[in-house]
This record gives sequence, C-alpha cells and structure tokens, in this order.
Amino acid sequence: MITFSRRDALRLGLAGLALPGLSGLAFAGPAAEPPLLLVLLHLRGGCDGLNLVSPANDPDFMAARASELRVGDDGFALADGAAPGIDFRLHAAAPALAELYGARHLAVIHAAGLTDGNRSHFVAIDMMDRGIADPNALAHTDSGWLARCGRARAEGAVTNVSATATPGGEFRGLAAALALPDLSGGVMPAGGPQAAAVLANLYAGASGPVAEAGREALAALAAIDRRLARDAAGKVVAYAPEGKANYAAAGELARPLQVLAQLVKMEVGLSTATLDLGGWDTHENQAGRLRGQVAKLSAGLGALWEDLHRWQGRMVVVAMSEFGRRLRSNKSGGTDHGRGGIALVLGGTVLGGRMAGGWPGLTPERLDEQVDLAVVNDYRQIMTEVLTAADGRAPPPNVFPGFTPGPSLGLFRG
Amino acid sequence: MHPPIDPSAMVSALSRAGHGPRPGEAAEIARHGFGGWVEQQLHPTIGDDPELETRLAALRLRIRYGAAPDGAWPALDEARPLDLLERPMEALWPLADGKTRMDGAERRRPRDEVIAATVLRAVHSRWQLREVLAGFWHDHFNVDFFQSDTLAATLPVYDREVIRPHCLGNFRRMLEAVATSTAMLLYLSNRSSRAGAANENYGRELFELHSLGRDAYLNDRYDRWHDVPGARDGKPRGYIDQDVYEAARAFTGWTIEDGAGVDGKRRLPETGRFTYVEAWHDGYQKRVLATEFTPFAAPQADGRQVLELVAAHPATARHLSAKLVHRLVGGQPEKLVAAATAEWLRSADSPDQIGRVVRLILLSPDFMAAKGARLRRPLALAAAFARAAGIDLVPSEGLVNAIAACGQRLFGWPTPTGLPDEDAVFLGTQAMRSRWSLLLGLAENWWGTGLPVSPPGLRGAPPTPHTAVAAWLEALGLSDRPDVAQAVLAGLGWPPDRILGPPASPDTERKLARIAALCAMAPTFQSA
Repeated sequence: MITFSRRDALRLGLAGLALPGLSGLAFAGPAAEPPLLLVLLHLRGGCDGLNLVSPANDPDFMAARASELRVGDDGFALADGAAPGIDFRLHAAAPALAELYGARHLAVIHAAGLTDGNRSHFVAIDMMDRGIADPNALAHTDSGWLARCGRARAEGAVTNVSATATPGGEFRGLAAALALPDLSGGVMPAGGPQAAAVLANLYAGASGPVAEAGREALAALAAIDRRLARDAAGKVVAYAPEGKANYAAAGELARPLQVLAQLVKMEVGLSTATLDLGGWDTHENQAGRLRGQVAKLSAGLGALWEDLHRWQGRMVVVAMSEFGRRLRSNKSGGTDHGRGGIALVLGGTVLGGRMAGGWPGLTPERLDEQVDLAVVNDYRQIMTEVLTAADGRAPPPNVFPGFTPGPSLGLFRG
Repeated sequence: MHPPIDPSAMVSALSRAGHGPRPGEAAEIARHGFGGWVEQQLHPTIGDDPELETRLAALRLRIRYGAAPDGAWPALDEARPLDLLERPMEALWPLADGKTRMDGAERRRPRDEVIAATVLRAVHSRWQLREVLAGFWHDHFNVDFFQSDTLAATLPVYDREVIRPHCLGNFRRMLEAVATSTAMLLYLSNRSSRAGAANENYGRELFELHSLGRDAYLNDRYDRWHDVPGARDGKPRGYIDQDVYEAARAFTGWTIEDGAGVDGKRRLPETGRFTYVEAWHDGYQKRVLATEFTPFAAPQADGRQVLELVAAHPATARHLSAKLVHRLVGGQPEKLVAAATAEWLRSADSPDQIGRVVRLILLSPDFMAAKGARLRRPLALAAAFARAAGIDLVPSEGLVNAIAACGQRLFGWPTPTGLPDEDAVFLGTQAMRSRWSLLLGLAENWWGTGLPVSPPGLRGAPPTPHTAVAAWLEALGLSDRPDVAQAVLAGLGWPPDRILGPPASPDTERKLARIAALCAMAPTFQSA
C-alpha cells in the first residue's frame, strides 16, 4: 500500500504535470538512484499486429487478408522470427523500428494480450489497466497495477502524474497523480501573484476532491515551474532535442514524447510514464490509415531513443494495444476487433533483435473461436518481466492478482 | 404549498438541470415552485425563444485563411454570420466530399458554427434543461467531428435533426435517427459495410455504448447464445459477440448517398443523405438476442428489428436511466435508478419517454438534496459564470479553445464512449489550471466575449474589496460562504475597506471583474 500523497512527494521536491497524449507520469525522489525508467505507450483502438508485423508467407494469412492489409515485399524481414519457416515482415513505414530491431534494442512479441476473450475496447482496457484478465474481477479490483507495484519503495515516493482525460489507467488509485501540460510557456496559473495568493487561500483549508485537486495542482505547477530552463530575461527556453533526434514525423505523439524527454533531463527522478497514441481502430480504409499510424509510432520511438541516448541503458519502453484485429478483413477495407495483438519492448538492456514468445499459427483450428489470432503471450507475463528488470525484483503478487508467471520470454539480457 | 427550499440548493438544482441561474432567478423559481419550472422546461416550444434567435442571427464568427498557393482563392479574414446551421445535408455535402477545392476552414465551418451556437445557447437559451439534455445525448451518441473535415460538415444536421428533436423524446425513435444519420454512418463506418464481411464497428457500439451497455456483455458465452440466461424464453439477459456479428449483418446496406458505385451501371447520388442499398444487404436469416430473423425481409426491416430489440431491452432501460441519474444527481442512488428504469420501460411507447424519466429524476428528493454532488463541466462552468456575472456573452474561438483546455473539446471526443461523465476527468493538474484561466479570461474579456456587469449592490456607493466580494459571492450563489469571502479578501492584498476607485470608471470595473473571477475560482463554485 502506498501511503505517500502527492503533496508529500512535492514537499520532497518532486513534481510533474498533462497534456493530451501524455497520460501519466510518476516521479521518484531525486535523492535516490532512479529505478529503470518505465514508459508505457498505449496504442489505443486495437492495433492490427498482423499488419504491423505480418506472417507474410503464411498461406492462411494470405488467403484471409486483402493484399493491401498485409506487409509485402517492401517490408522489413525480421531475423529470428517467432516460428521457423515463416517470413515475419515489419511494415514498410517503420524504418526506425527496423533499425532498432537490427541493433538488437527492440524485441517483438506477437500473439500477445489478454487471455480473456474480450472484444470490447473499453472492457479490455479496463482489465489491462487493473492487471487482471477476468471481467468479473473488475468489480472488486479498483486500483491499477502500477498503483500496486510499489515502484516507489526505494528512497523516494512515486508521484503519479495523471491524464488530462483519464487519470485512471494503470495508476488508478495511487494518491499522487500528475498530468503534464506543454512546458514551453511556463506552467504557473494566470493572474500573477495576486491570483496565486487568492488561490492558495481558497484551496488551503477546503476539503473534498476539488480542493484536493486544486492544492495538488498549485504545488505541482510551482515545483515544475522552478525547474524549467529560462533565459537571462526569465523566459522559458524552448526545448531542443539532442543529436539527430527529430520528432517532426511523430504526429500527435511528438509533444508528449518531448515533454517526457524534457522531464527525464530535468532529473526529477522520473520512474514511470504512460503515453497514448490513438487512431488504431481501423474498421475502414485500413491500408492508408495504418501506414500513417505506423509512421508516427516508428518516428516517435526512433526520436525518443536518439534524444535520450544518455539514458538508453536506464529505460524500457513497452508499446501495446488492448487487442489485435480479426484475421479476415472486412469489405470496408478494414478489420474488426480481434484477439491476439502485438507488443514492442525497447531498451538498452532488452534482448532485442528477436521475436520473443510463442506463435500459435493461423490454421483454423489454432485460431481463437476460429476467427482470430489466439493470445499465447499473456500481457501480464510481459509486464512481469519488464517490472522485474526495471526494479531488480519480481513484482509483488497483488500486482497481477491470480497470475502465476510462466516460462520466461527472455526479454532482457543477463 | 411547497416545502421551503434552501436558496443555495436551488442554485445547485438550476446548475445541474441548466447552466446556473441568472442573478435573482433562483429566488424567483423557489417562490413559484421548482415543479412548475421543470414542467415548463420539459416542453420547449419551437420558435419560443425569439431573443435567442435574434442573438443567433446577430452573431458573427470569424473565419480566416491564406490565399491558395496557385491563386485559386484569395486570402480571407471576415466576421461571417452563422448561415450553415439550417442547411440540409445535400447543401452541406459539397463541403464534405472533397471534390470542390477550398480552404479547410470552409470545410470545417459547419462544425465551428454549431460549436458557437452551442456556447451561445448554453448561456442564453431560456430552455436550459434542453441544453443540458442535448449535451447529454451528444456525449452518449458521440461522434468526433474533429476526426475529419467530412465529419465536420455533418454536424449541423446531426445536432438539428437527430439529437435536439429527440433529446426529451422517445428513445427508440432517437436510436433510428442516429442509426440513419450521416454523422454516425461515417463515424462508425457502417456506410461501407457490405454483405459477406460486414463491418462490426457500429453493431458493437450499438450494444455496448448506445443501448444495453457493457454490463450486459456476456462475452464468456461468446457464441453459445442458448447459454445466456433467459435466452431459451426469448429474453436473454445480455448480449454476446455473436449478437454483434449478426447485428452487423442486419445493418449492411444502411449507407449514405456518397456517389459510390452500386454495380456496373448504377452510382449513388451525391447528397450525403441516408439511403438503403438492397444489393449490399445480407438478406439471409439471422439471430439477434435469441430472436430469429426471417430471411429476405423487407428493406431495412432487419436493422429496424435490431433497434426494436435493443431499445426494448431491460438492460437498456437500466443503462440509460442510471446514466441520466448519474449526470443529474451524481452517484447511483439505487432506489432512484430503479424508479427511473421502471418509468423508462413504462413509457417505452410515449413520444416523451425521456422527458418523463427526466421529470421523475428532477422531482425526486435525491435531486434537490444532491447539492454540490457534480463538478461543473467546463462549458457549464463558463456558462454559469457568464450568467451569474451578467456577461452578455458572445462566443468566440478563443473561448472555445479555453473550454477545450479544461478537458472539454466540444464535439471532439475521439472515442465512441463520449466524454466520460466522471468528475475526475476535469481535476487533473492541467485541467485545474485551465479552469482558473477560463474564469479569469471571461472576467477580463481575453477572448472578446463581453464584460461582466457588476451586481446591483455595487452600483451605488464606491465599491470596496469588502463590498465587492460580498456582492459577487451573492451573485454566484455563495453568499452563505464567509470562509470564501475571507480567503479572497486576504489574498487580494488590498485593504478591505478602502475604496477601489470611482464607481463605473474603467479601472474600477477592471478590479471588480477580477474580483468576480477570483471569487468564482473557489472550490465550492466548481461544483453544483
């Protein structure tokens, strides 16, 4: 049980804050050696893993799918695939991901997701947020798995930085939750010192969720504001990514990724961050839409990797969706909700350049309910290995209640 | 005889059933009885708000863009009337279909006009309850009109013909209006659904979001429909994936006239309006919610039967009643939800089914007792402040963006769930900061929306911080909060009894406006 409130954390000099896309951040104390930075990137809407990494020469796949919804010869062949004889190909719009895979920093886990047969976005996301795989457990599992995993147990606190839209997610139930705005123009409330004084008075004594939120906001805004780089005139300096990092092609992911990078460099002891990239619900006209999505994802992760080159060995990024999509395409040129999805794991300590985990195949009897790629790689197995690597110990059993880890996927070196 | 109503409870009631009282309004309604007000609000008559019509006609919304690179159109910057609000779909479709070249601002203009009209109505409409319900149903039947310029052009018709006429009406009729709307057919992509491999997008959200609700999703039965409790008697308690697949088949052929080719010879017209294409429909037998559908039914009969089944389902009654109770009262008071559910089912065939349920909720003791139970959503906050502060509000793009920064991008929620009806959504660090800015920006007229008018108490003697705070708290419905008065006065840093300046001077008015905003930043004004 985490008993730190966000105010406690802020008194320790920690902070954070939100902006569309960047849905959650948590800080550990700057005094403590920060644990491995864990970044969760949600691919919202059900990313078609079969079109991001296609079993390109699988006859069942070729028969079920319109050709424009398969990766073709222009895609990147992935070495060390998930099954012998199958030519797994990464989407052609993902050159940065191909490069990271080739450099062995990126691992791919196919047929990954929820073991429960759920095809609702919203129920699936709720289950994954809470670290469970049974919809009946939703009623009595009110907190998110990151809220229960106690990553703050070291010297510092975990300060949760909550989303603009959904302050829940994996952080749900954690007292400290911050959400981050654009940092470029400073973050203090409008109205100058007079308004600040009135706000402090109004929110100091009051009780209830609004007053609590207001106090936390005031403290967090001030703490972040103090750490922003300024020029001689006191103006906040625009953020400049390092090296060749270029977020321009990352679309709406560019801003939250840069805020994340900026916070890492502020050295507030950032320990966990979550981000969202929506737009994967491709029931219609998938070919063009998915190309755009993949390009943003690839460019964004590539830029972050370059920008945080000094932190590569101390970070792990997991990108995952609530489910994959139907094997057979529909007549709208799209795909409907399916089961097995895909997970990407990127980091300096990741045993990359390979596809980890099992591959069930696509013959009719191996499909889930005879229609969808089955889930053979439980998302909780992936997250357990990620947490174990990030914290140097296995997560407590209540993080994924009722889940017994299976054989290791071997996602990390050593 | 009406039981005496605590004035601040009435302010709260009018802030949940509307966007907050204008000064003096709460006392007046308390005098005449809240029940009478509710009855009046439940029966808005078309054309019965001439003042609003005058404002809509007078409103000019800026549009500006640069010249086309090849000179196809010149640069433009003008204040233009809202002349697309009443246009039929076929007149808006040329903005949507991408065939005529024009700047994107022209394509998005229909959406931006509806947004401006919505803000105007929130503040000035005399039919405040209808505005609240229109917002509720827009959230429920969410369409993201920021997803594409094509969708942006469909909002006037969706708002005017689909949501507003039915928002206090009959749910079954509303459901069909939504199912046949250009906006929903585009957003949940049913327009491209074809027999053979139907697109399940609309079918799934119809069950999960629009009608029965996710609590009735019995996915562990996947395709074993006869295992669903009640199914053998034709009354399944919930739905399964197979119902979604079958419903998707039922809606094949429900599309829009977008010029698509039907067969070698025939093309659909290009009007953007709903149409049914028999050739795209999967006519074979189906089973939805344990009900067998006969093969080759009459045109649209399959889809309509699905709508009948889901509209009449008890899970739908419960889902929608609980949602309405949650919006208007907060929480899930079980007795009230049960009573509302019973009313929903009882009134299933009434043209004013939704109105009857809303009446039951508003007249329940829980409603009046729920003072402070709901956070004011950002648009409601802006409207309530404008109404209380006497701002003769003129909507502008700046104000709309400020509301969006608080977490409510009007008509722009990305997922079909709609803006979540959870207070916590608006309590994030950034959202709180934006709320304070919204109030200060309105008071100081940052976005050209109009200046506050000081309450009568400040119009005689030269105001002091003391008298100003007291007068504004009265206007905001917070006169019973001396703690707020004290907090504001202490923070202002101005001697409380020193005159702020000569009455009505611009400098004095600026100070008074600022005091209004600072008072409204109080935690107690954030909820109603």
